[in-house]
Amino acid sequence: MESKSASIQRKSTNILEKPLSKGRGEINLSTFAFLFSELVQYCQNRSSSVVDLQQKLASLGHHVGTRILDALYLRERGSKRELRLLQALIFVKTTVWKSCFGREADKLELSNDDEKTYYIIENESLVNKFIFVPKDKGSLNCAAFSGGIIEAVLNGLNFPCNVTVHWHKGTTYMIKFEESVLMREKSLESR
Amino acid sequence: MSRQTPRVSVEGRKFSSEVFALTYGALVAQLLKDYENDDDVNKQLDKMGYSMGVRMIEDFLARNNIGRCHDFRDTADIIAKNGFKTFLGITPNVTNWSTDGKEFSLILDNNPLTEFVELPENHSSLSFSNILCGALRGALEMVQMEVEVWFVQDSLKGDDTTEIRLKFIKKLEDALPDGED
Amino acid sequence: MAIYDFYIFHREGTCIYYCQWHGKKPPSPSVTEHNCKLMYGLLYSLKSFVLRISPTDGKDQFSSYRTSKYKLNYYETPSGIKFVMTTDLGVGNIKDIMKSIYRKIYVEYLVKNPFIDVSKPVSSELFVSKLDAYVKELPFFEPKQ
Repeated sequence: MESKSASIQRKSTNILEKPLSKGRGEINLSTFAFLFSELVQYCQNRSSSVVDLQQKLASLGHHVGTRILDALYLRERGSKRELRLLQALIFVKTTVWKSCFGREADKLELSNDDEKTYYIIENESLVNKFIFVPKDKGSLNCAAFSGGIIEAVLNGLNFPCNVTVHWHKGTTYMIKFEESVLMREKSLESR
Repeated sequence: MSRQTPRVSVEGRKFSSEVFALTYGALVAQLLKDYENDDDVNKQLDKMGYSMGVRMIEDFLARNNIGRCHDFRDTADIIAKNGFKTFLGITPNVTNWSTDGKEFSLILDNNPLTEFVELPENHSSLSFSNILCGALRGALEMVQMEVEVWFVQDSLKGDDTTEIRLKFIKKLEDALPDGED
Repeated sequence: MAIYDFYIFHREGTCIYYCQWHGKKPPSPSVTEHNCKLMYGLLYSLKSFVLRISPTDGKDQFSSYRTSKYKLNYYETPSGIKFVMTTDLGVGNIKDIMKSIYRKIYVEYLVKNPFIDVSKPVSSELFVSKLDAYVKELPFFEPKQ
């Protein structure tokens, strides 16, 4: 009986006793590649279309994104949250990208004809590096997973948006913000 | 057309262990949604692990100059010191050999899959890291060893340590040519 | 010197890839299929004879045989994937070359591709083109004049 209660106690305190990860731990990229392959196959078997498959990958990315945000904030920024849209986007392009994929994304651009739309461009997306898309799934872009991460991070920062991925200059992530984000920006500007 | 040529080698490159662990967590969370009970999730994880193991062993053999193992002790050593080291960056202890030399345990001091995990209370039969069992089984089958692999202890469940047990079943032979069986 | 043909056998004994570069006129698909089965039978028998006849203990593996016209080069991975390349008699030991086909082409373009089942005949054009390019770069690829 005594040992049982000890084990229950250990269970409940275990994760809190562990020091917060420094986030610099590294693993063989191949291991991730094989795991990601499995993820893609699993989602593919349960999808009826390429769009469906990409949505499933995005929702897995979402799961990762919401969690990575908390870890990053505690570690890198002393819990100070970004208030301005551009700062948040730069944070994604640099800090988030670096900690997820080892380097910054290549470009951040504002759409010419819509002030709610931004693009993050990655010439060669890491998750596509080891996925060779067969011809019958021509439009499939597995970077939908990374798209899900971005969306979750921006939503978590209170910049609600929708992210889609496109094969353009490598991979282009199209980020469309909700109207409310723009309204808030304008009110912050006028202060 | 840039997507037609992206497959450069990823050999020797590193990836964030944090994102790796979170991605694995995302997979398990998804399986818990897709399947009705923990046993089915365990089975699915084992199946995915098997499929990974089948592929990972080729990657491993292609990069390391390792011949066929002489005996199961040899195999245990290579799994711990080379296999786990290469793919997960850890070196488990090989221990608890059975007297006939056909069973041993791998003790994992830390498990990169569970870096941020706390088991949800209503999933007590979930074997969170079951993918490891499948991967070991798949990889060993490809080098002609049929094995059984299971978790004996899991620190995630409050056990003192994480212990994976491997049992040698039999040696597999080459497939016979057509018309000779 | 010249490279004639090339086979990859999966551990289940299926020929997952066959290609011919030089040599006599390419056989019809049904003949090719039959030849692949013969080849697997030949390898299987040779392997077991070599092992049984071996004067020493240990894992003997044959690496090539020659006839008066051609040489058959053989490499089997510890995971049982079998690579066969037939060449003319002037070609030396090419085990390292077969190993690098395994490492740089088989593993990279088939094993790591989530959409490919490696126990089925190869359907990846990327694999085929990479292999073709690699083989054509080899110094002993072209037949001697």
